[in-house]
Amino acid sequence: MSSTKYASAVAAVKAMESNLITQGEFEQLINAKSAAEMDAILSSGASERNSLNEVWEMIHDFAPDSEELKILLYRNDFHNLKAALKATLSNREPEQYYITPTNLELDELKSILTSKEYDYLPEYMRETAEQAYELLTRTLDGQLSDSLIDSAALSAMQKASYEFGGEFIQKYSQLITVCADIKTAYRCSVMNKPYSFIETAVCGSEELDKESLARSAQRGTESFFSFLESTPYNEAAEILKSSPAQFEKWCDDIITDHAESARMRSFGTEPLMAYFIAKETEIKNLRILKVCKECNTNKETIMERMRKLYV
Amino acid sequence: MNSLGLALAILGAACSALFAGIGSAKGVGLVGEAAAGVVSVDPNKFSKVLILQLLPGTQGLYGLLTAILLLSRIGVIGSGAVDLTVSQGLMFFAASLPIAIVGLFSGIAQGRAAAAGVGIVAKKPDHSGKGIIMAAMVETYAILALLISILLIYNITF
Repeated sequence: MSSTKYASAVAAVKAMESNLITQGEFEQLINAKSAAEMDAILSSGASERNSLNEVWEMIHDFAPDSEELKILLYRNDFHNLKAALKATLSNREPEQYYITPTNLELDELKSILTSKEYDYLPEYMRETAEQAYELLTRTLDGQLSDSLIDSAALSAMQKASYEFGGEFIQKYSQLITVCADIKTAYRCSVMNKPYSFIETAVCGSEELDKESLARSAQRGTESFFSFLESTPYNEAAEILKSSPAQFEKWCDDIITDHAESARMRSFGTEPLMAYFIAKETEIKNLRILKVCKECNTNKETIMERMRKLYV
Repeated sequence: MNSLGLALAILGAACSALFAGIGSAKGVGLVGEAAAGVVSVDPNKFSKVLILQLLPGTQGLYGLLTAILLLSRIGVIGSGAVDLTVSQGLMFFAASLPIAIVGLFSGIAQGRAAAAGVGIVAKKPDHSGKGIIMAAMVETYAILALLISILLIYNITF
């Protein structure tokens, strides 16, 4: 973006970046003997640690008119749609399954789904909500309905990124889609899922053609890997073959690498999005670390699992 | 015809104050926005970002100085307005253009550079001097334009 838009937000974000947990601080946390000691180290830090919700509120307050930023929350919106749909059909409360921040008020989502007034949903969710509800009530197949919603989330991200966003968010949406598609297609190939299921579950993108990916996954893991090796993501094939957990890390790391490309920008939405992504990664790292500490995982394994840091 | 010459000279004075002032206002405003963002997170950085915010303000002062010198030279300020031919009036108008145009664009450009420098203060306060130097480089061209405008104003004979 060549304009000087969001100068104030970018400057505030740059000030907040200095509060992100650094490599040195993470090493201190890794060396902590227990989860309790970890909490003590974190709370003794001089700087304030904002939650993801607080970060989003800050970014949104600075740039309330940006449709581009909202794309970052599409996956949360669609996740909540899954939770709310299932809860509505099973007469349970969906609150505990919700994730935040979101673009849509959660009470509003629940009431819309209960009354089936899908027109009140944001445009990018309307059709999917209706289709998923119909599919779930007709087949009672929660997995299929979830796959439909997951795939629609990726598709909505890509569409919105081309409609409202610049190169940064377009590439981000593409990377998220590619990673999700590879994971889904791999699982489908391992579980011998039929082509009709895989076709619903994968989204497809410019770099990974939907039909070719679904066909290769349907033919089994060997066929899937040989297809992946013929794409720009052949590195992903090697990593996924050796360890699905390492592949998850690889996915997060390429997103962080992409976020780093916005670090040098002084204006525009890119640094805001990059900071949000960095904060997500920080929270994920803390969660991994906490679980590892609770399970007494050794230091080498923790180091292997830790995601690349933005700072 | 003589009054048209004087009018052109006054228009030149007005342009130098006007355009250089717009450049400064835009530049200072942009840095102010960025500075407010940093101060909202860390109020202790106020003094450092204030220096950066002041930098693009100089173009407006150069424009004002040029306008005063020009008005003084043609007697509008002081002894009374002199009679100027159209060509003399045009010469004064042309003399005001360097600072008017360079002031406008350099004010905006310096604002951008200083706003980017605010990012340095935000992330690495110890290196804030580098941000100030980089933004101050833009000043060179505003000073050169001011120099030319003043030389022209004082060397037009009538």
